[in-house]
Amino acid sequence: MRSLSIKYFILFAVIFLLLGTTLTLFQFYKNSEKNISKLLTNNIQTEILNMKHYLKTNLNKNNINELISHLDSISSSSKSIHNIHIFNEKKLSIYATERVSPILNKECTPISKITRKEVLEEECYSFNITLYNNLTPYFFTSEVYIDKQYLHQLLKQQTIILISYYALLVILFFLLLWIMLKKTIIVPLEELRQFAYYSNTTPKKFFINEIESIRHSLSMTFARLKKEQEELYKLSTKDTLSGLYNRMSLIDKIEWLIASSDRDPKKFAVIFFDLDNFKTINDSQGHVFGDKVLQNISNILLKSVRDHDIVSRVGGDEFVILLPSCEKETIVVNVLERIKEELAKPFHLDDHSYHLTASMGVSLYPRDGKDSQTLLKHADIAMYRSKELGKNTYHFFTESLNRTIEQKIAMQNLIETSLQNNYFELYFQPKTDVISGKIVACEALIRLIDPKKGLIPPDMFIPLAEESSLIIAIGEWVVLESSRVLQKWQHSDLQDIKMSINISAKHFNESNLISMLQEVCKKIDKSRLDIELTESVFVNNFEHTLETIKQVKALGLTLSLDDFGTGYSSLSYLKNIPFDTLKIDKIFIDDLESKKGKSFVNMIINIANSLELEVVAEGVEEEKQLSYLQKMGCNTYQGYLCSKPLPLAEFEALCKRVNNSN
Amino acid sequence: MKYLFLFSLFFLFTSCTQKANEKIEIVVNSWIGYTPFFYAQEKSYLKNLNIELITTVSLGESYDIFSVAKADMLTATQHEYNALKKDFPSLEPIILIDKSFGGDMILSNRTIKELQKSNSIDVYLEIDSINNEMIQEFTNKYHLDKDKINYINKDQSKIKDLPYSEESAIIIVTYSPYNIELLKTGYKELASTKNSDTIIVIDALFANHEFAKKHQKRLLQLKAVIDRSIQEIKTDPKAVYLLTKKYLNNISYTEYKKSLKMIQWINKLDLEKSTIK
Repeated sequence: MRSLSIKYFILFAVIFLLLGTTLTLFQFYKNSEKNISKLLTNNIQTEILNMKHYLKTNLNKNNINELISHLDSISSSSKSIHNIHIFNEKKLSIYATERVSPILNKECTPISKITRKEVLEEECYSFNITLYNNLTPYFFTSEVYIDKQYLHQLLKQQTIILISYYALLVILFFLLLWIMLKKTIIVPLEELRQFAYYSNTTPKKFFINEIESIRHSLSMTFARLKKEQEELYKLSTKDTLSGLYNRMSLIDKIEWLIASSDRDPKKFAVIFFDLDNFKTINDSQGHVFGDKVLQNISNILLKSVRDHDIVSRVGGDEFVILLPSCEKETIVVNVLERIKEELAKPFHLDDHSYHLTASMGVSLYPRDGKDSQTLLKHADIAMYRSKELGKNTYHFFTESLNRTIEQKIAMQNLIETSLQNNYFELYFQPKTDVISGKIVACEALIRLIDPKKGLIPPDMFIPLAEESSLIIAIGEWVVLESSRVLQKWQHSDLQDIKMSINISAKHFNESNLISMLQEVCKKIDKSRLDIELTESVFVNNFEHTLETIKQVKALGLTLSLDDFGTGYSSLSYLKNIPFDTLKIDKIFIDDLESKKGKSFVNMIINIANSLELEVVAEGVEEEKQLSYLQKMGCNTYQGYLCSKPLPLAEFEALCKRVNNSN
Repeated sequence: MKYLFLFSLFFLFTSCTQKANEKIEIVVNSWIGYTPFFYAQEKSYLKNLNIELITTVSLGESYDIFSVAKADMLTATQHEYNALKKDFPSLEPIILIDKSFGGDMILSNRTIKELQKSNSIDVYLEIDSINNEMIQEFTNKYHLDKDKINYINKDQSKIKDLPYSEESAIIIVTYSPYNIELLKTGYKELASTKNSDTIIVIDALFANHEFAKKHQKRLLQLKAVIDRSIQEIKTDPKAVYLLTKKYLNNISYTEYKKSLKMIQWINKLDLEKSTIK
């Protein structure tokens, strides 16, 4: 059904009702008039018929006097006739109801011409009475006069009825209008209100155009909102890349499992899954490929777990698997083994075959945690333990593992606090000229002075710092602090003392190192600053490291190769990298007593001399060792024989004392 | 809502629409020749055309009812037709029904010779009907002294109950079926339309010209109904008799069949055999 505008609907309804009322009333009036006319016609016809019959039967006696009383009775008893007039053939009146003032010479309509249409207007009717003298007819004429008062009364009654009907019709039509308005406007608006409020069932199509438009718009809006709501819910609960549950959903699931376990004690397991070396894949093949790998891993995990297990992706290459109803650890192990087994199968992507491994950690509820965060943290700790154990394995969380991790975390926190509160301090170990015995240089070594625990040795925090980016922050602190000391020494007796600082492999590959060194070089005598590197710097990305080394050299700084002989000791480094100094590691110095030890040290010194490199022997603690080094032509030594690493003030005092005495 | 609108429209239009066919009323008196009308009424053929009969006992009564316009049409003879022409100038025969072939008759308790010799004769008749012409034709034919005749005007419904008496000479002008009771009481038929050379009585359905024109289609249908009824009267007179006897003074089946022989139908099928040429 086509919709209408409210304006046209109201207009139509009013016209319709007015037209209806008018037509109905008109029809009613016409019907009433017709009925009255019909009744009146019938009445007059019957009266005249009876009178005619009476007169035909009785008038032939020619004794009108005997008929007068009967004719009077007819006119008085008749409702419609109030006067009768009878004439003979000669037009002489032989009877009149109104004898005093008879109505005369009225042009009456013959009864044969009576019509219902005109009966209300006519005043009188005439008819002939045929009588016979033997077989010869003779005639009388009768006129009957209609009682107008009776007619008026009839019409008055009819008017009252008409008004009553009109009132009834008005009420009826207004009732109809109300029903129509209610059906088409009020009820639809209420339905729309409920729809707008509850948005559950979409109302059916409405008759009124505007309301239908609102219904349609609301319907479309709610449909869109519902779709968006579903999408948002999906986005909030699912990982877009893999289609697995995301971290938020995972936490919900864990919380739900915990709540369920509270009612019906049941164990469940949390497996933290982390791909080994995924960063390498991402870096080498790009993120698009990495995403495909992750999707593939998602499928593998889904395939490996049980139907009711929950798999989620919580980070780049990190997945968490929830195993509900794990009463025995063997169930977990079975799942872990299946995952390993599936991962062990090579998979093919973009015409290449790949083999991936993963490290997994497991925490169990309620043993390893009572809440989602603890369970996840402990599974993560266990996973890191797997990484530490060489990757491609899994590990269950234990308390001792937890303690170790907690200690690590505490240390990492201390490093961060120390950087903020300046708990670090540089200690300086002198480098002494083997021949003159004068201190010619020093190595700046970082020390952590915990206000509560006191001095913390570097082997306690440097390896931890190297696992994270904290080593870069520490390295930067060392560079800045050492430059500050060198600035201080520039105009003092220690202005000739050269200072070495250690830069870690991670820090050395940092892009802003060169710019930082450039800034430092502007403030100090750059010939006084030496950078010590270990062979580990060159293990990864040699080309890039070599480029950095060239930039460092271009700044005018010198380079020392630390711990020479302990690592790869590749001679190609010495050939390709422009080092200035070789530092012989302490283990070789400690072995100077043996012939083999002497040979090694001698060989290193000879290589250095051949390459015109300075040689520093580390860990010299005895005079005998110094004597050997003097004989072998070593330039400088470093060790407790001269001094242990000292705070700045003590080192400065030592320098003055030693250099002035020699 | 749709139904509400449809109902309203229906209400509106039906309240404004008049009925297609107005009722037609025909005044018919008790006469064997009008049996087709009675039969059609009983078989609802007339009802289907929205036509209703007003039955009367005499031609005079039919005449009076039509003269006050209480009926739209009437069945009558040429006598009533001529009389009504004064008040209804456009009156015309619409359907010719039958020719009286003995249906109108003159009965008496005397022979013609006895009547001619009688000093006084009482003549009972419906004076304003074809009876008038019948008696004039009879008195003229048999040279009855008009001064000796005493005319008594009565309806045939009353005439039929007239007792037989030998005391005075009586002539009764009547028509079928009112003749039956009178013949039973002892009156003898002296003359009828069957053996009359000078008078022909034709029964027809009359109406004003304007009315006939307005309802031409229905009147054509009515003619078909009348023809059909005549045909059924011929094929199954017993069945028709059972339905129509109440209109014919409850005459017996034998009398009914005898009465039918006193008329000749005027329609296409019967014209060839008819004496009407």
